[in-house]
Amino acid sequence: MSTPAIEVRGLRREFRASQGLFAPPRRVIAVDDVSFSVPAGSVLGVVGESGCGKTTLARMILGLMEPSAGEVLVDGKRLDGMDRRARARLIQPVFQDPFSSLNPRRRVRDIIAMPLVAQGNVTTLEIDRRVAESLERVGLSTEQGTRFPSQLSGGQRQRVAIARALVLRPRIVVCDEPTSALDVSVQAQILNLLAELRRDLGLTYLFISHNLAVVEHVASEVAVMYLGRIVERRESEALFRDPRHPYTRALLDSVLTPEPGLGVPDVGLGDIMPDPANIPPGCRFHPRGPACFAPCAATAPRITSLEDGLVECHLAG
Amino acid sequence: MSALLDIEDLRVTFGGTAAVRGISLTVEKGETHCLVGESGCGKSVTSLAVMGLLAKGGKRDAARLSFAGDDIRDYNEAQMSRLRGDRMAMIFQEPMTSLNPAYTVGSQMTEVLRRHRGTPRAQAVDRAVELLTRVGITAPGLRLGQFPHQLSGGLRQRVMIAMALMCDPELLIADEPTTALDVTVQAQILRLLAELQKDLGLGILLITHDLGIVARVADRVSVMYAGEVVESAPTAELFRAPRHPYTRGLLSCVPVPGKVKRDEPLGSIPGVVPRIPPGFTGCAFRDRCSFAEAACAGTLPRRNVGPAHEMLCVLPEGVPA
Repeated sequence: MSTPAIEVRGLRREFRASQGLFAPPRRVIAVDDVSFSVPAGSVLGVVGESGCGKTTLARMILGLMEPSAGEVLVDGKRLDGMDRRARARLIQPVFQDPFSSLNPRRRVRDIIAMPLVAQGNVTTLEIDRRVAESLERVGLSTEQGTRFPSQLSGGQRQRVAIARALVLRPRIVVCDEPTSALDVSVQAQILNLLAELRRDLGLTYLFISHNLAVVEHVASEVAVMYLGRIVERRESEALFRDPRHPYTRALLDSVLTPEPGLGVPDVGLGDIMPDPANIPPGCRFHPRGPACFAPCAATAPRITSLEDGLVECHLAG
Repeated sequence: MSALLDIEDLRVTFGGTAAVRGISLTVEKGETHCLVGESGCGKSVTSLAVMGLLAKGGKRDAARLSFAGDDIRDYNEAQMSRLRGDRMAMIFQEPMTSLNPAYTVGSQMTEVLRRHRGTPRAQAVDRAVELLTRVGITAPGLRLGQFPHQLSGGLRQRVMIAMALMCDPELLIADEPTTALDVTVQAQILRLLAELQKDLGLGILLITHDLGIVARVADRVSVMYAGEVVESAPTAELFRAPRHPYTRGLLSCVPVPGKVKRDEPLGSIPGVVPRIPPGFTGCAFRDRCSFAEAACAGTLPRRNVGPAHEMLCVLPEGVPA
């Protein structure tokens, strides 16, 4: 079997949250013992509510944040200790908000050239050629390359962010909510572009989104995160057809598809909100689980392997 | 009987820019009317214009703007502010920015009643506790003493709803009320709104960009594009037989689990929403429309294409099904 594009082993990240001048800081566990691997050329979707640790996970995989424990291998190479320039050639980000992730005082072509310039050993001629190639790939004109971000629409800006991510010809792109700030018609354009680029360039995506319908459309495999842990990870088709974890089921139930007459579903999660600074004992999902029984509150469930993935729940064994 | 809210030919301009270009709609008692469209289409400006809350420089003009039978076009600020928060309430997208961070939940909630009705403090507090309970907040007494930053996003939005209900409004204008929330919380909040509507007979004007929400909660839908309502119909009818090319395009853009195959491209609308210069005539969508013809640059007919189903397009029957 070939080397996975991303491999994550026992990844963990803690934060210390100050509670005021004299109180001891609280420990917040944002990502707790997460392991998975993504085969080259496929798309792993990561879903979960805000605060579940999906962005922290992305930042560690991008090398923007040190893990507290565990390791990240990108294309078979350990990320810690890797040269920043070498890392940039392997893995690149596309962030949510194209309004704040692009320097407003730079022209589009300079923004896209930045990763190449930072490599330090690329000729000006080569930079121009690669920038032009990137612009064309994402469907922007040479003229649009001379503009400033403020002169572009949200969708065009996200194209700039994608062009910048592609200019070093990386193997892996981490997309953190890449379409959440966009209108639906523009979202569809960007999703189609990302799919086309993946096919043409053989890219691997880690695709983070709170929108399950979007994830279903793009991901080959989906990881559902809850309070820092992956509670279910399955092949996309299987997960949407037959979710095994009650949290996954609740997430799927809460998707409002444009089908009139169905009303708003009762997802049955109750009013308790997950708090990463105060993770419940036993199964961390049990206070919200509609069908939980005694063991759920007492012991943490073990990971159960399934034919097409894994699930972490007493009820799914 | 007249509608609770009746708008006819509403126009809003900011300087030379037309933000709303002649929209008409009604909201009946107990009805949810959804105004749906993409950013910049004028849906929020419409709601602000109804509330008399347009930013400086905004000019409103309408052939009719009546609330519960009263013409409110010429109401002055004092008259409008008596109406707002009392018989006509509003909830906004981001509860963090629309709640005052410097005051407790309790003082903001009771202020509404004390100001509009002169209710004594103790009674206002009772009412606040009652409503917080009603919107599903446990330990309402504790919440009253807290500041907005101490609450989660879902809780803040519930507080906003409870606050909007303090004076028993007849009309609730909700502008993207769940956009900032997680999907699980969104479902809870929308269920709550539907329940409250049933119990209190509220008329709701719901503004959203999310066709999923529209399908699940609206009785009637108006689709806005570039300051105009391009199509309006009862919800089931609109989703069953969308006629306007823009509505059709918008619906094809939404990924529906189990409907569109993975790796197959989603439908999309080429181009971007145009800026509308003063004196613009014809269809604002024509540059992005695959059915555009010469006639689209002329005056558009607004016609009926089904039961209570209206559309603004030169195609006599709309897009063929």
